[in-house]
Amino acid sequence: MKEQIYRWAGPSLWVLGLGVPFALSANWISILALFAIYAVVALSQDIVLGRAGMFDMGHAVYFGVGAYTTAILNVTYGWPIFWTMIPAIIAAALVGGILAAPLVKLRGDYLLVATIGVSQIFHLAMVNNTAGVTGGPDGIFGVGVPSIFGHQLISQGNEYLVDWGLLGIVLLLMKNLEHSRLGRVFRYLKEDELAATTLGVNARYYKILAFALGAGIAGAAGTLFASQLAVVSPGAFVFTESVTLFAIVLVGGQASIPGVLLGTVLMFVVPQVFRELAQYRYFAFGIGMIVVMVVRPQGIWPRRRRMG
Amino acid sequence: MSDLLSVSDLHVSYGQIEALKGVSLRVAEGEVVAILGSNGAGKTTLMRSLSGLLRAKSGSITYDNEELVGRRADLIVRKGIAQSPEGRRVFGTLTVEENLDLGAYTRPISETAGSRAEVYSTFPKLQERRSQLAGTLSGGEQQMLAIGRALMTKPRLLLLDEPSLGLAPLIVKDIFTKLRTIAETGVTILVVEQNARMALKLADRGYVLEVGRMALEDSAANLLASSQVQEAYLGKG
Repeated sequence: MKEQIYRWAGPSLWVLGLGVPFALSANWISILALFAIYAVVALSQDIVLGRAGMFDMGHAVYFGVGAYTTAILNVTYGWPIFWTMIPAIIAAALVGGILAAPLVKLRGDYLLVATIGVSQIFHLAMVNNTAGVTGGPDGIFGVGVPSIFGHQLISQGNEYLVDWGLLGIVLLLMKNLEHSRLGRVFRYLKEDELAATTLGVNARYYKILAFALGAGIAGAAGTLFASQLAVVSPGAFVFTESVTLFAIVLVGGQASIPGVLLGTVLMFVVPQVFRELAQYRYFAFGIGMIVVMVVRPQGIWPRRRRMG
Repeated sequence: MSDLLSVSDLHVSYGQIEALKGVSLRVAEGEVVAILGSNGAGKTTLMRSLSGLLRAKSGSITYDNEELVGRRADLIVRKGIAQSPEGRRVFGTLTVEENLDLGAYTRPISETAGSRAEVYSTFPKLQERRSQLAGTLSGGEQQMLAIGRALMTKPRLLLLDEPSLGLAPLIVKDIFTKLRTIAETGVTILVVEQNARMALKLADRGYVLEVGRMALEDSAANLLASSQVQEAYLGKG
């Protein structure tokens, strides 16, 4: 019985989410649309951090690569939004994989510092308009909305449904990853890389793969983010965004889908709801994070251990 | 008998510090060879160089007529060299059975069950504990699991890094009895140990490693009898 509830609770909640545009106010629709996007990014961060166990403190960069790819292709070259998602995923995955290649041999704390460097360089490159296509500090305006069969999904509700759809796909992917050989390899590497290597696991390859996979999914979220806000600017992908994503995984629960979703609600939705409290909410948040890490270091909703 | 493994003039460094200063050894197919040495002699460094976890600065490691220096660790496992690492390093949050199955990572899934049954027949204790988390096992059981897991790769050459580490004498004796059984199935074994007596009783031949160099080489029986080994490693005056 309990197992049944567990199995169906997630999908039911997702289906329920499809009703949001018909039931809730515009304000809520926009908050939940951004929740869906950030949840996808947080889940992709969890692949690298929670599942493969690598301290990636630059995850907002891959999100940003996806968003910029979409903005540039859509605004400058007139590509439809959905078509830009493919190059956005590929570009983000390539950036993730190529940056990871020399970095993955670094041990935890060193990797953390190196990824902070990556994050700073990305921000600088975007602000300084290095390639001449990113619009400098103001970013790129006028990113369009997606269209299906010639229909522009112009209403907020429709855009929400697209975001919610991506979240659904990524949740399915994560569920599959959990039970796949690849997911298990990530777990072995996280727990004991040396032992896994002595049993024939090519650690370097799988660590780069984790980065590329996580980055690619973040890139897909970037596409919808650019379209949702109609603007892409460097400020949305700064170091503190990466820190928030990192914290979502740790506070929510590493390698736990409900944990990461709950983390996203707490770190992202709740602050939006209490916007009028301004700075105080971050104060409350800081204290909350400290308390969680002290009394519940495994996260609020940790991964369940099934007994064999 | 032809050599399955032969190491010549192996140099391995950690930065400026040279841990192995020209080590040579050979292991024939089907043989059990022990390498004795105290803390810091370079035993683990040697093991990790053989399994590709560390890269040698110079020298050569020939296995089955192939050069291994510079090879990736995961490919060396696929060549038939398995390592039971120092400190056991079982996956504490996985069950005994999951740990064993992970050992069969490089092999077709269809062969897993058969190999697992073989490991269970060598170590019945592991079968009793099959669904228990490895982290809850005793030290001796964890050592058995580490050896069993290495056997799951179906090795021709089994490298054992201090299987007696931190275990009570009775349990050490038990484990070395099992190693004898494993050797009798035709697996070649290279074991590094501080526990010289147990290692030499198991082995056909032995080496003594002292601060990065081989100090002695002889048959196990001669080493057990040698006054030098007795003084340094067997605690007899």
